[in-house]
Amino acid sequence: MGTTASQLGKDLLSEYQELTFLTKQEILLAHKRFTELLTKDEKDLPNTRVSMERVLTLPELKSNPFRKRICYVFSTSEQKDGSLTFEDFLDLLSAFSDSATLEIKSHYAFRIFDFDDDGTLDCGDLEKLVNCLTGETDETRLTTEEMRQLINNILEESDIDKDGTVNLSEFQHVISRSPDFVSSFKIVL
Amino acid sequence: MDSEIQRQGSRNGYHGDQQSLRSRQVSSRVSNQNYPQFNWSSTPAEDDVEGSSEMPRDLRSSPLHMALKRAVRQVQQMQVPVVSSRESWKRNKAKSLRKLKDNTREFLYLFALWSKSLQKIGGNFGGGVQSFFLFLRFLVVLNFVSFLLIAGFVLIPSIVFRSVGTGLVNSTGPEECMEYDPNPQGLVLFYNYFLDLLSGTGFMEYSYMFYGYYNNTMVDDTNFSYNIPLAYLFTAVFYFAFCLIFIIARMGTAARVAVATGGSAVGNYSMIVFTSWDYGCLGDRATKLKQKNIHYRLQVRGDLSYLAGWRTLRKKWWRFLIRVTCFQMNLSPTSFLFLCQVDLEEEMIKKRAASLTTNQKVVLYALRVFMCLVAFGLIIGAFYGIFLATEFSQEKSGKEGILGLIFEYLPSIVITAGNFLVPLMCDQIALIERYAPSTTVIVALLRAVFLRLVSLGVLLFTLWRQITCDGNTESAECKLCEYNYNFYPCWETRVGQEMYKLTLFDLLINIAVLVLVEFPRRMVVDNWSNKLAQWVGRQEFVVSSNVLGLVYGQTVVWTGALFCPLLPLINTVKFIILFYCKRITLFNNCRPALKTFRSTTSTFFFLVVLLFGWSLATVVMVYSLAEIRPSMGCGPFRFFPNMWSIVPRSFSSLSETTEEFLFFIGSQAFSIPLFVLFCVVMCYFIALASVYGKSVALLRAQLKLEGRDKQFLVKQIEKLSRQLQIPQHTAGAGQ
Repeated sequence: MGTTASQLGKDLLSEYQELTFLTKQEILLAHKRFTELLTKDEKDLPNTRVSMERVLTLPELKSNPFRKRICYVFSTSEQKDGSLTFEDFLDLLSAFSDSATLEIKSHYAFRIFDFDDDGTLDCGDLEKLVNCLTGETDETRLTTEEMRQLINNILEESDIDKDGTVNLSEFQHVISRSPDFVSSFKIVL
Repeated sequence: MDSEIQRQGSRNGYHGDQQSLRSRQVSSRVSNQNYPQFNWSSTPAEDDVEGSSEMPRDLRSSPLHMALKRAVRQVQQMQVPVVSSRESWKRNKAKSLRKLKDNTREFLYLFALWSKSLQKIGGNFGGGVQSFFLFLRFLVVLNFVSFLLIAGFVLIPSIVFRSVGTGLVNSTGPEECMEYDPNPQGLVLFYNYFLDLLSGTGFMEYSYMFYGYYNNTMVDDTNFSYNIPLAYLFTAVFYFAFCLIFIIARMGTAARVAVATGGSAVGNYSMIVFTSWDYGCLGDRATKLKQKNIHYRLQVRGDLSYLAGWRTLRKKWWRFLIRVTCFQMNLSPTSFLFLCQVDLEEEMIKKRAASLTTNQKVVLYALRVFMCLVAFGLIIGAFYGIFLATEFSQEKSGKEGILGLIFEYLPSIVITAGNFLVPLMCDQIALIERYAPSTTVIVALLRAVFLRLVSLGVLLFTLWRQITCDGNTESAECKLCEYNYNFYPCWETRVGQEMYKLTLFDLLINIAVLVLVEFPRRMVVDNWSNKLAQWVGRQEFVVSSNVLGLVYGQTVVWTGALFCPLLPLINTVKFIILFYCKRITLFNNCRPALKTFRSTTSTFFFLVVLLFGWSLATVVMVYSLAEIRPSMGCGPFRFFPNMWSIVPRSFSSLSETTEEFLFFIGSQAFSIPLFVLFCVVMCYFIALASVYGKSVALLRAQLKLEGRDKQFLVKQIEKLSRQLQIPQHTAGAGQ
């Protein structure tokens, strides 16, 4: 199932409404934007998969430092190449939507930050995360010493069971204290 | 092949995590029932036993991809759970409730004003600026709905029943008090219409705009009666109550988040790293700015021994409030410099304060007290200026021409000038006071709010003085009618006119500043490569002073709504114009600030300040309803001793039991037990909150212990494996 035909069927639309946090207008808008990414031949095929490069031309994702991780996390492709079908795209928008719950946002945020996909945030993941946050330019990059100190501080604050990594529940514990997380973890087309 | 195994591993990693987490009952705020615990191997029979005790999971909250969710849904639909009819009724109710919620949400989205604009603003300028525009939109909706309320209950019945209806009370009163002739005499020139429009006199005075036009009539048919004065009064009271409920409802979610997150962990490293990225950032420029911002925040923290600093903190809540206002109220450039160095300077100042000798301390405190008095003196000076201007303006009212217009607008001009100059001077005073930066910010903010709201209060006080002859109803001018009938044949209309002029002037000043100051500044800075021009730079969008302007405008409308029923409509139009003006100036003239980030606590703070304005307006309304005698020459309450007295009079026409019931509710026999009940309920909630706090702390400690257990077990395993390997080595070596 799934479609990239030019029209979305009514049952399919209501099914998507039930399975995601998006409203009808948002799903239709997503469908419109997704079909704009397709070439003419691809438009008639059902279940087309769009490559990551084309997805990243969307203005909402273009300058996001986590854009590649977002594509990898939501992609269901066998080759793990970050390509998205329309349903993956809807999953993405649902997790980033206005009405998504804190738990689903924190779950996906954890997966996005988990650069090596091992289920926990260890030092390597944290380092890559901080580099994404501060940018890779010379003036904003942290020195090795600063990075080490920062990672130690982060682990000291959030690693409750002292195993050297931040797991999902510890991550959610930190997130639940922030009043801004839900409103900033948002991408709206 | 490799990728297959890796994928399995990563999937299992997550599922495994959740399985062990479920048994651990972690203390995250969210329920752990919605983790993807989908177990393909579970038979329907097993699920039945479990499923009968819990509701079917809301699939949207499970972090599975679409195909899996669809499969789960199919399995759920195929299962025919054996449940009691009560259970199934409950489940159907829950499902229909959810559907209703979804439908209302979709319906409301249709009416969301300007959502595209707001998104663009948030993406380019950050959350602080966006929260200002959200607040403005909230006020537009509030004013529009209030206008609908007033139109439905007061305006339209008045228009419909204008010619019909009988006077409520027969005219009793001295001749002089009832003289009221608002229509202009003689030939009226064309430009007079324009002047009248600006000052609310002339053709505007005797119209539905102001209180004076409404009649003291009651329509009493065989099966329908409508008492216009009663409707007027009740609509005004209900309007205030409605605004309060609206504001508190809006505050609700923001307050809950602000209270729940508390002051314990604001701004620490993991929070910054995990939660500070704004995924709504659009464009390279905004992204780079955000990255610089985060880098800066991490650096500033790095110069302190952070953990030690927080542990010595005693007053957590106060610190939280300071920090919130510090970072959320994007203040003027002088304060911006303070904000930049907040943490470093705080510590430096603390160290310096600790190292002062007693002599120096005394001098510093004396200086601070003196400067406080100077600031206070400035504010009082501004108030005196407003007082003088209002008296002068009221004396010179009725003058013709442009000069007359300037005299009419004198109080507004003085208020605006005061609101602009006094905070500037207070900023300079703050430099001498040398408080810690966070305290400076709070003090500046409090002073600004005090100045704005109390200057309005001074204006109203001056008017009151003139209307009631200083409250002395025995003095010569007020003896006859209990109010100054010479100057104010219809004093309510005059007060309404003052509020109308304030509103209009506020709008005109905003547009004038936009055209005459902001655009030229941008053109100068962009085209003139002088050093001075570059130092001044493009302006920054200062959220706090804009918010205070909105609160001031809304307070004026609330105060004037009783006397000028159409004021909410005018305010709606004014705020809509203001939205577009501010948006234009934001995108064309302002540069994005380095230090902004979104916060739900900003909105909460704006609403708290709005409530201050609301309480000022309520005080004015209650006083006008209860104490001052309504004018005898105009309005729906003439010939009543005060406006509220129409209520008991109308109640006497109700049935006996209703009357007794209403009197009972108003008496002490009812209100004291109610108050006691509220206290009990509040104690219960406080106890509940402390219990939850304790259980969170307990669970954290439990997690720590389990972590240590795990480490101990891992070490044991390593030791054992080493022991097992050593015999092998000796065996191998022996061979």
